[in-house]
Amino acid sequence: MKIIVFVKQVPDSTAIVSIENGQVSWGDAPLIINPWDEIAVEAALLQREEVEGEVIVVSMGPESAKEALKHALAMGCNQAILIGDESLKNTDSQVVAQVLAAVVKKVGEVDLAVFGKQSIDGEAGVVAAQVARLLKWPMLSMVSAVKKIEPGKTIQVERVVEVGRQVVEARLPVVMNVGKEFAEPRYPSFMGIRKASKAEIPIWTLADLGIAPILSKVKWLDLTAPPQPEVNTEIISGSSPEEIANKLVEKILAEKIL
Amino acid sequence: MLSTAEKIIFFLASLATIYATWKAIDRLVRIIGRGTGQLDWGLARKRLWSVLGKMVILKPTFNFRVGVSLAHLLIAWGFMYYMLVNLGDVLQGYIPGFRFLGDGLIGGIYRLGADILTVTLLVSLIILLFRRFILKPSDLTTRKTTLLHPKARSGILRDSAIVGVFVILHVGSRFLGESFTIAREGKDVWQPFATALSTLWVGWSGLEFAQHVAFWMALGLIMLFIVYFPYSKHIHIFFSALNFLLKPERRSIGELTKIDFDDESLEQFGASQIDQLSKIQLMDAYACIMCFRCQDVCPAYNTGKLLSPAALEINKRYFFNEEGTKFANGESSHQSLIEFAIPLEAVWACTSCGACVDICPVNNEPMRDILDIRRSLVLMDNQFPTQFQTAFRGMERTKNPWGVPPSERMNWAKGLDVPTIEKNPHPDILWWVGCAPATDVQAQKTARAFAKILKMAGVNYAVLGQAEQCTGDSARRAGKEDLFFELALGNVEILNEVKPKRIVTTCPHCLHTLKNEYPAYGGNYEVIHHSQLINELQAQGKLKANPAAAKEKITYHDPCYLTRHNDIAHEPRSVLESANVEIVEMDRKKEKTFCCGAGGGQAWKEEEHGDERVSANRFREVQASGADSLAVGCPFCMMMMVDAAKDANSPIKIRDIAEIVLENIESQA
Repeated sequence: MKIIVFVKQVPDSTAIVSIENGQVSWGDAPLIINPWDEIAVEAALLQREEVEGEVIVVSMGPESAKEALKHALAMGCNQAILIGDESLKNTDSQVVAQVLAAVVKKVGEVDLAVFGKQSIDGEAGVVAAQVARLLKWPMLSMVSAVKKIEPGKTIQVERVVEVGRQVVEARLPVVMNVGKEFAEPRYPSFMGIRKASKAEIPIWTLADLGIAPILSKVKWLDLTAPPQPEVNTEIISGSSPEEIANKLVEKILAEKIL
Repeated sequence: MLSTAEKIIFFLASLATIYATWKAIDRLVRIIGRGTGQLDWGLARKRLWSVLGKMVILKPTFNFRVGVSLAHLLIAWGFMYYMLVNLGDVLQGYIPGFRFLGDGLIGGIYRLGADILTVTLLVSLIILLFRRFILKPSDLTTRKTTLLHPKARSGILRDSAIVGVFVILHVGSRFLGESFTIAREGKDVWQPFATALSTLWVGWSGLEFAQHVAFWMALGLIMLFIVYFPYSKHIHIFFSALNFLLKPERRSIGELTKIDFDDESLEQFGASQIDQLSKIQLMDAYACIMCFRCQDVCPAYNTGKLLSPAALEINKRYFFNEEGTKFANGESSHQSLIEFAIPLEAVWACTSCGACVDICPVNNEPMRDILDIRRSLVLMDNQFPTQFQTAFRGMERTKNPWGVPPSERMNWAKGLDVPTIEKNPHPDILWWVGCAPATDVQAQKTARAFAKILKMAGVNYAVLGQAEQCTGDSARRAGKEDLFFELALGNVEILNEVKPKRIVTTCPHCLHTLKNEYPAYGGNYEVIHHSQLINELQAQGKLKANPAAAKEKITYHDPCYLTRHNDIAHEPRSVLESANVEIVEMDRKKEKTFCCGAGGGQAWKEEEHGDERVSANRFREVQASGADSLAVGCPFCMMMMVDAAKDANSPIKIRDIAEIVLENIESQA
């Protein structure tokens, strides 16, 4: 069974984001694999353990995105592909979706396409559904568990809904995205990292995918940061909870909060 | 004295013994030869005299169990002297009328020595056998839950019994033999004890026959024993000396070996099989006397965990005894170390405190075996306590095991005017703050106190600020050596650019790593602890203590990585005394300090299953000291003791040395 999982490289969640020259900047915060996509990779690997198959990890991004792919390879994916093209900078989600759908078609015979819930930088969360629409595959979102999978036939999953869990079944191939309920991503093994660091990752351009450059339909008119609040943290200490509480009350009254 | 027939038989018996011994030694050498690396005989040459000196009063045994060690010393002296005695007796047996070392003063002194040491040896041996077999103390065995080779529990006792009986018979027969000779030839003023004994059989007709029997008992037994030796723990008499001669030079007992991850040819990282340990580690099993001292001082064992460093070495030895021949011939062991030598839970219970290494009288290092097994588990099998993942990820991504990003690393210094290296590129001393003050409230107090002290004393210093990265100590002790490699190389690059004249740190783990382990990565720095700097500043008169401040009763908990790993025990105490405190010492102090429980990566995971927390055990000792306050010198010790105090509902105040010093200085304002 062929499983394809899509990952994005994003700035670390502790990065301080600012606006510089109308562009978003995260300073020199490290870039990491999108945490939701890491769960998606784990989900893909767990399915591969259930049924015989291979997991292909794909990322659309600049050269640095190879690090996210290597992380996924170190976790155990069989193959990695980077989609890189000059025209793919600062695109909206439907461009991404068209590109990724083309990737799925080119890889061919894919039974399952797995996505993370959303990226922690853009946070649009719609690419998975758009890819499903383009491929005309069922979209299984908010998947918390795969209950049954019969390659070439059907998949039965559990989804997270507001009131609890919902079990749905669909005919393969499907697109699915997963949240943190699915699994804790495995820590990449050292031997895996070692092998991955030597891996040759092919880069596919739009020409390789057989599609022409696509225009973004969404334009960003303005980008501003919310005003920085002045935060002063003071830790109140004392020899007993009562003393600390008294001090706290004094301060609250002094600051005229109450 | 011997008849011709006896001489021939003895000669043939000696040949047989030599042959059997040679085979046993060959097997032993091939067993040790299965280990990795090479033994450095150059070190042995360098250390020969000092090791010979060690053998005079056996100082390493006196770390612990002083009375017993005294008895053992007398036995050891007797044994060493008997090498001469046995030689002399054989010569006297073969050469009629020959008196070894003559009839004069020298011969007399020799015989006096033999006489006295024979008696002291026998008495001491009987005391020790009484202790082992009648008193049956628990510190000569291990709990039933410890993984111990099935033959070991009875095997250790049987070994002691055989050797005990042998020595009594060997030495006793020799003693009797001398008394028989004296009974025949007349009193010997140089052998008072043998002479006293001889009065029992003066005039007995069987004396000559008895002399021969005594000779054969004494020296025949030696020949049998030599062949038994390589299977006995008593071979430590040779291997302890070899261990002291051949141990690699280390900057500290906790300085671990480097793995060069740039070497593409390396296939095995750490040790999962016994032949993946180094030769010197295999030799440890032969040096081990199975005295269980290491177990006695192990914080994990003492709090009911499965770990027993003694069991680890004993299991290795019993593997060699039982399956060594096949192993020597090149066969691999069919069980991994986790399966026969030390269980998984025990491996993860170690706090890397080094007490086992420090206390071992024969220079064994069980802690290193455990950490090598960890490396294999983490690097080869990717198997480690899941809770380590957060710390590993933190160190990888934000260079801080708590996950605090570089941008927040200096938040603890708000309002304090702490100069960073950008502002002060050529300070007299670089203060390596460490990761703890970025997160932990208590560590922040320590850092802030130290910053104020530095300002007061007008020290020209700087911190690396946001450029400071975790030293990687936690990664290394947890077995994640590749992460440590990255951090070490990165830090050495930064530090070599900064070129600090000296480094001071408020964290003993950082101190240990920067000082002892970074040299292997190209970084050689002079690193001191903040208590040492405060001590210097006080001596220079730059800090004015308040001698009239109210005297506090304080006890000081020596951090393992400061005291045992780096021999720094004096300055923290002199600094505390200057702050006008009355120090009440705990029993387990200085190199005998009892771990707080945070080392070896334990700070990042739940403690393994046991009877109580390591920190609770230590805190009970703090409470028993009668002190009102506890002084610590390490942010991890601080965390553990504060939690332990909360659990015990104790009002004991816990502060870092810097805080105590600052309070004292400020009390005169």
